[in-house]
Amino acid sequence: MTVGTAVVNILVFPGFLFLVALGLAGEFVDRKLYARFQNRQGPPWFQPVADVLKLFGKEDVIPEEADRTTFNLAPVFALAAVVAASLYIPLWSATSLFPFDGDLIVVLYLLLIPTVCFFLGGWYSRSVFATLGAVRAITQVFAYEIPLFVALLAPSLLANSWSISKIAAYYAAHPWLWLVNLIGFGVALVSLLGKLERVPFDTPEAETEIVAGSFTEYSGRRLAFFRLAINCEAIVGASLIAAVFLPFGLGLAPWLGFLVYLGKVLLILGILALLRTLFARLRIDQMIDFCWKVVAPIAFLQVLINLVVRELI
Amino acid sequence: MNVARRMVRWGQRKSPWILHFNTGACNACDIEIIATLTPRFDLERFGVLLKGTPRHCDIMACSGPVTRQIESRLVRIYEQVPEPKLVVAVGSCATSGGVFNGLYNVKSGIDQVIPVAAYIPGCPASPQAIIDGFAKLLKTLEVGK
Repeated sequence: MTVGTAVVNILVFPGFLFLVALGLAGEFVDRKLYARFQNRQGPPWFQPVADVLKLFGKEDVIPEEADRTTFNLAPVFALAAVVAASLYIPLWSATSLFPFDGDLIVVLYLLLIPTVCFFLGGWYSRSVFATLGAVRAITQVFAYEIPLFVALLAPSLLANSWSISKIAAYYAAHPWLWLVNLIGFGVALVSLLGKLERVPFDTPEAETEIVAGSFTEYSGRRLAFFRLAINCEAIVGASLIAAVFLPFGLGLAPWLGFLVYLGKVLLILGILALLRTLFARLRIDQMIDFCWKVVAPIAFLQVLINLVVRELI
Repeated sequence: MNVARRMVRWGQRKSPWILHFNTGACNACDIEIIATLTPRFDLERFGVLLKGTPRHCDIMACSGPVTRQIESRLVRIYEQVPEPKLVVAVGSCATSGGVFNGLYNVKSGIDQVIPVAAYIPGCPASPQAIIDGFAKLLKTLEVGK
């Protein structure tokens, strides 16, 4: 791969621009489904694009008290980390752009960076609401991150590899073995809700209690970057779960594989929107209790099952 | 007007985020504003979202005649909203002071304190009137008008 194609791959397709477009489309799908579940019309298809364009045109206010460097850099870092993570996930082909052994771990850590950026941005805004939101965001990390790690690492026990491409290849070579990981799939979806700060785990930005959490003081361009980061994170998280838990259609023709990939992402986004409609917001202590007492043991059960299955086959 | 500016103007028209601020109303208009934002009336069709913080909002929906106590707060909230911003006066009191007009403890209407872009009369203004007011206000933002 020459430097030129690598740059195009990273910036345009399937890197930054493609991911942003997919993220905006994903936000529309989520909002439209949410609206239809509530028996109303919902926003038009261009709504996320209009939101971002408007935010780019708005005045950018930096509070006097805020730490300027951190306040400015947090949104950019959040978006950059998500885009970097997308480069290591196989989307519709059998391998990712830059595969190596252990990229699963790297992706999980890269996906942690946005949450840390939410914390830093909120904390250094020096606003009461933003500080509260930041503390809640970082508290929530400790609840959902362990189940997410355990659930995503369980399939790798069977595949005997920490490379996402090799895991996908293994499950493609052993059809029906993915059924073993269904529990882990559920756990990963619940954890993804926490990662994206969606209802019922949206305590960090609970708008009825602490206005907008970490983003309270953000306006204009920086808020747009944060929104893009969350949108892209939804797509990257869905792609990661699809690659690890739903390994179908990897050997198909590119366009057919692309359609299958879109279908998988749509399925996961649909499940997330359905969960968002069904549940109300949990308190932060209820959320942590739920994650540690219910979700984490189920994730460990998945590991146990995989260890047993590994001995059997 | 160049393309980028046109696109931003289009975005502003299609994605108005609202901040709801009670400037001393009797709560009737506030109930109607909240009712407008429920799934029954579905303002998200026009891209409208309710935001809690002035930093995110484009349109301030104010209800009530401005009491002396809330006057300085109203100005402060208004100044916290990033440009471009618009103010909508919802209800008779916000428009002209309504039944409170001339009392010693209230100003008569939002426009005595901050510039107002649209007036929605009614006591209280019904959700249909509020939606109509917002739609007309957004129409004035079209390029060339």
